[in-house]
Amino acid sequence: MSDTFSYFLMAWVDPQLLLLTALGTLAGIYVGAIPGLSVTMAASILISFTFSWDINNALALMVGIYVGGVYGGSRTAILLNIPGAPSAVVTAFDGYPLAQRGEAGQAIGLSTVMSVIGGLLGTLVLAGSAPFLADMALEFAPRDYFLIAVLGLLLVSTLSGKSLARGIFSVALGSSIGLVGMDMVTAQPRLTMGSMELLGGIHYVVVMIGLFGVAEAFYQLHNLTKVPVKQKVDKIIPPLSMVLKYLPLSIRTSIIGVIVGALPGTGGDIASLFAYDHAKRTVKNPSSPFGEGAYEGLVAPETANNAAVGGAYVPMLTLGMPGDAVTAVILGALVIHGLNPGPMLMIETPHIFWFTVGNLALANIFLLIFGLTGIKVFSKVVEVPKALLIPLILVLCVVGTYSINSNMTEVYWMLGFGILGYWLKVFGFQMGPVILGVILGPLLDETYRQAMSSVGDNGSQFLLALVANPLSLVLTAVIALVLLGQTPAKAWLKSRFKRH
Amino acid sequence: MSQKFERVQAGEKVFDWLLLLFSIGVLFEAYRIDGIPGLNSPGSFPVGLALVMLASSVVILVSHRRKRRDPRIRNAFHEAQVFLYEHFQPHIVVFTFLAVAYLAAIVWASFYVSTYLFLAVTFIYFRQGKIVSSLIISAVAIAVIYTLFTLVFRVYLP
Repeated sequence: MSDTFSYFLMAWVDPQLLLLTALGTLAGIYVGAIPGLSVTMAASILISFTFSWDINNALALMVGIYVGGVYGGSRTAILLNIPGAPSAVVTAFDGYPLAQRGEAGQAIGLSTVMSVIGGLLGTLVLAGSAPFLADMALEFAPRDYFLIAVLGLLLVSTLSGKSLARGIFSVALGSSIGLVGMDMVTAQPRLTMGSMELLGGIHYVVVMIGLFGVAEAFYQLHNLTKVPVKQKVDKIIPPLSMVLKYLPLSIRTSIIGVIVGALPGTGGDIASLFAYDHAKRTVKNPSSPFGEGAYEGLVAPETANNAAVGGAYVPMLTLGMPGDAVTAVILGALVIHGLNPGPMLMIETPHIFWFTVGNLALANIFLLIFGLTGIKVFSKVVEVPKALLIPLILVLCVVGTYSINSNMTEVYWMLGFGILGYWLKVFGFQMGPVILGVILGPLLDETYRQAMSSVGDNGSQFLLALVANPLSLVLTAVIALVLLGQTPAKAWLKSRFKRH
Repeated sequence: MSQKFERVQAGEKVFDWLLLLFSIGVLFEAYRIDGIPGLNSPGSFPVGLALVMLASSVVILVSHRRKRRDPRIRNAFHEAQVFLYEHFQPHIVVFTFLAVAYLAAIVWASFYVSTYLFLAVTFIYFRQGKIVSSLIISAVAIAVIYTLFTLVFRVYLP
């Protein structure tokens, strides 16, 4: 117990870790807020610089960036009606009308406090549930991991983007990229197109920087001259009565955020949508109609997206499956540092888990401090013109990619993925499913083959095993339901039930 | 009876056809691993993924039946013109060209020189002049990059 507590407090008492967490949170707020930059982009670029760092330092910085970044997007959503991050899209629905009404300061203050409440509740759930889930996960068979990965990829295909087919294509594309290289069992080249250079595979950070950095930079060229409308910000600290008034809603939406965040593949953007929908359906008398400046419409998504951060860590640390794109990057950082994310992490390196929990809580405290101060400086910084920002993003992408293996070919690959990502984005494909595919593809392949070997390569036995074990049965049923929900059968069943 | 149709972007159909061709290419590459794969062989999963890509790209193409072109687009030639106008605006083309030239120049002109030139030229172009401030901002950016990446992060630069 005392060990647990000392691991938890590690970042709180070590000046270097304290500084890195604070810097990460502050940088995250700006990264999340500046349209054109994103948390995933920052984390992807950052991971390559922290390869040689001590793992605690690297994690402290990344946790700070993550927590700050998820919150940061809300500020520009409120002030400029430009969500800095996908998870803040919903925040703009009511945040911007509040700013137009002259209540920008209060809206930012309330969103800060609620984000911190959501973040701390998410961390609490992580601390409480992950050890039990990790214990349970030790009993999981390879087919269960396979099914969880399939479910995660299916959910991310379903919930992001404009159609399921596009989502599934993105996931399969990402998984194919993840499989490029030598087969781990037979060392046979796979999808290498005869290239010797591809035998070692494509580093997923190269793909990430290309898809999230370069593609975004190119995409932002369409809005190069767009000038946002600025709002005046006055008193920022919300009155206690206001916080208490919205506390019950924030607790409810935190729970939604944690659950959605914990589903492999889903993240803050989907959590905030669900939470907003929940608020719309359950709040009978909002402060203003939803969409016209209701504080409830601000509280719900802001609490949920920060609560989803803690939730996203649950599958990453207990099952080795990222909860969203940022935890996919952090998962990579853990692997690079020789750690084993998954159920064994709790047994082999429990200090990493408790350090992360303590660090998340600390980052939320810093979020409260930075979120309620420095708004004047913030207003100036987020107005940095895209004409300056876009070329700098490209330079950072080059530096980040080159620093992985000091290999210029990977830099060219990164540009190639950036251009591919640009066209995918233009035509409605999301980048998140591609990246999760890159990360989960090899895991899917490995667990599928292990599961198949365990039944003597017998197809019918494999299918039987999917329904013979209670956990596998539940997972298979959920996958079937998710798939069914995307077909016309859902509408048909609904109409049948209505008729009866 | 009026029916609402989803709009298809200029060039979207061509892109979706390209995805189908790409999926066929991936399927061919996956097939080359070990022919028609067994249930548990190196090629089984790649072939499966390629089939999923192929099936989803077919579904995407079929979904175009429920979509309609923007009524302002008159014909295929006009669609090509709109596509070029939207995605090949001068500043996008110039930036792409500068980005490729920058990556090519890094190898023979060193990282710092090529980065300075890339930033300065792009800033001047995007900001339509403002030469002195663009040169100063580029110099400051180089100084920050040097301090941050060479001195603080200690990473190897090209």
